[in-house]
Amino acid sequence: MTKDLRECRIEDLPGPKSKQELDEMKMPYEEYCKAAFAPGHEMGKPESLKGIRWMSTTMYIFTPHSVANLAELGAEVIKVEMPRMGDPMKHTSPFNEAYLYPLHDTRPVTGTGYGFMNANPNEYYISMDYHLPEMKEAFYRLVKMSDGLTECYRPGTFDRWKQSYRYVQELNPRFIYVWGGGFGYGPKCFGGSYDILGQAHAGLASVTGMHESMGGHCTKHSNWCIDWYSGTQITFGILAAMHWRAKTGLGTMIEFSQVQAATRCLGHTVPMYGRFGIVRQRWGNWDTQLCVHGIILCGKSDFPDSINPQDKFDARYAMVSAFQDADFKALCGIIKKPDLYSSYKKHKERVGAEAQVDIYAQLEDWAKDKSRSEVVRILQNEGLLCEPVMNDREVYENEHYRQRGTVRWMEDPLFGDVLVQGTYSAGMLSKTPRRLYWIWRPVGADNVKIYHEMLGYPISKVQEWYDKAWI
Amino acid sequence: MIEAKGLTPRQFLDKVLEPEKESDHICWQCEFLKPVIKGSSFPPADIIGWCMKIHWPYYWCVADFNVVKKCYVFKQKG
Amino acid sequence: MCDIIWCKKDVEGKPCDTVNYLDPYCFWNWKGTINCANCGTVYAIHMIQGHMYKGPDEQPAGTKPDTSPLYADKPLEGYINFPSGMEGRTRPFQCLPRHIYLGVPDMVKFSIRGRPLRGWRPQPKSAGIAGQFPFNWEMKKLSPEVWAEYQEKIAKGEVKDW
Repeated sequence: MTKDLRECRIEDLPGPKSKQELDEMKMPYEEYCKAAFAPGHEMGKPESLKGIRWMSTTMYIFTPHSVANLAELGAEVIKVEMPRMGDPMKHTSPFNEAYLYPLHDTRPVTGTGYGFMNANPNEYYISMDYHLPEMKEAFYRLVKMSDGLTECYRPGTFDRWKQSYRYVQELNPRFIYVWGGGFGYGPKCFGGSYDILGQAHAGLASVTGMHESMGGHCTKHSNWCIDWYSGTQITFGILAAMHWRAKTGLGTMIEFSQVQAATRCLGHTVPMYGRFGIVRQRWGNWDTQLCVHGIILCGKSDFPDSINPQDKFDARYAMVSAFQDADFKALCGIIKKPDLYSSYKKHKERVGAEAQVDIYAQLEDWAKDKSRSEVVRILQNEGLLCEPVMNDREVYENEHYRQRGTVRWMEDPLFGDVLVQGTYSAGMLSKTPRRLYWIWRPVGADNVKIYHEMLGYPISKVQEWYDKAWI
Repeated sequence: MIEAKGLTPRQFLDKVLEPEKESDHICWQCEFLKPVIKGSSFPPADIIGWCMKIHWPYYWCVADFNVVKKCYVFKQKG
Repeated sequence: MCDIIWCKKDVEGKPCDTVNYLDPYCFWNWKGTINCANCGTVYAIHMIQGHMYKGPDEQPAGTKPDTSPLYADKPLEGYINFPSGMEGRTRPFQCLPRHIYLGVPDMVKFSIRGRPLRGWRPQPKSAGIAGQFPFNWEMKKLSPEVWAEYQEKIAKGEVKDW
């Protein structure tokens, strides 16, 4: 101890006494991450967006997903749906097969399809026919009590109904208003949009798929990836607008066109055209900037006896990456084609289109008597990057995803046991993680909570509106 | 219906892809030109078509006003 | 754009009259042999840029077809059709739908790990005001038969974590 008690020496403090000791006492990084992110223990942590209230007058996936991101991070979201009908997305399900019930008291045999999944979690569901003059007051009162709104209507629709940004900013100058239009304003402002329209119109579908010379056609992604992608981009806009509002106290209007959003992920396509007049073409499962860096077809399936065609026929693809010179040399050694290495010693030589055609053909030739897992094992044992192309069953059974909580079972309070992936695959925050309270709720399930408990309308009024199908 | 009698596959393809424009480009005799076909309202750019070879697998827009007289990848179409 | 092969081959005294559709995705630029979905006659075709360049030329019996049409029908006979995936007639595709993909919602009460899931109808009404729903599914009260079945499953050890 020092004589002067105000003096503090590191030797007297509890804990490590030196830098070396500190390093020794630190837990391994893996353990640290496990403790910091603790999948499955999200509910005990605070929510970063708690206190934000957002209105969602949205449909389908694109605009709902912009709000879903907020709801997963703790914002209180009020989803406003059409009375007795709900979001049209509720009525879509793959091949009309998978539904959860109930949807609404007046529609006992209708359910909500899995197509609705992940787009509107953790939200309060009210119904309102807000274009009626009689419901304007309730709508405006919600605006006054909310931080923002996302809508997805055609250009000028909300303006015609006197609830666009021009009107609501007079009620609430801090209001952040998102118009997620299909085309946005401009010469093509006529229509709405769908994901496939976005992929096509933005130029993305034209560079997806196999090259024309290989018999390919432009291809859309199987899932509605541009809906999810552009919805997420809106969320960034909202967070930036909220930061701006914290500084200035003023709201913003965000205009977001789905058909242009996908243009952002086109990479080198546009500057290449601008510089040389080159039109980018499709290049299938290979890469335009790296080689070897693509997906190859192996000869044998990993599950030849499975009844599932995805297993039986398609468990044959493997992703291979060996674009560094040393890696490529090793790869050519493994496939016993030293000539291949001597022909393409430098990456600059490999990455050319003709070279790629040659290299991948030889790789597939080597793999034609091997199964996918054999290819993966051989290449991984040699220290090369190689992973099987997995289907969703394999993702479900993958220990890596299970430990990280990416795919997990959740007992929804209303609908029971559901396997979920959306919330927990969007990045983990150690202090304020995303979480999933409920996947969705029936149409108008929270009418009483919002109209009566929050806005203070008497129950008789709520019942009257309900009977008139205004809510 | 395009009459295929007596045409080679290449000649047949040329009939299918009847070009919008005429010019002095040697590209018209080249295997690798993919012309803008007749009646196209798209693309709006002033091009006669695309060269499929120079930047293969990407396509290069062959401008209408820069008349190509010789080219290192030129190949007489068959 | 989609070309067809209208098969006029005589089958048991009358023409086959089957329209075999050549879907552009497969046949846009294509050369080979293809069978008629009804009578199995093999035709050789050569298509360029979506147009028929050569054919359809009938091949001698016993020729093995390279592929089959995606779909075929008989418009003169009340549109009898051959949907895709009929073995030996139309082109098989690998991802044949599972037998339950019939366009009819499949009623399930339990998920694949054996826990209850509200996948059947009709469900009891909300019993709230103005369609209000409570926050919890009181399974024991609302669906006692599912609850009972669930207890049996637990007893039999059919309820798993994954």
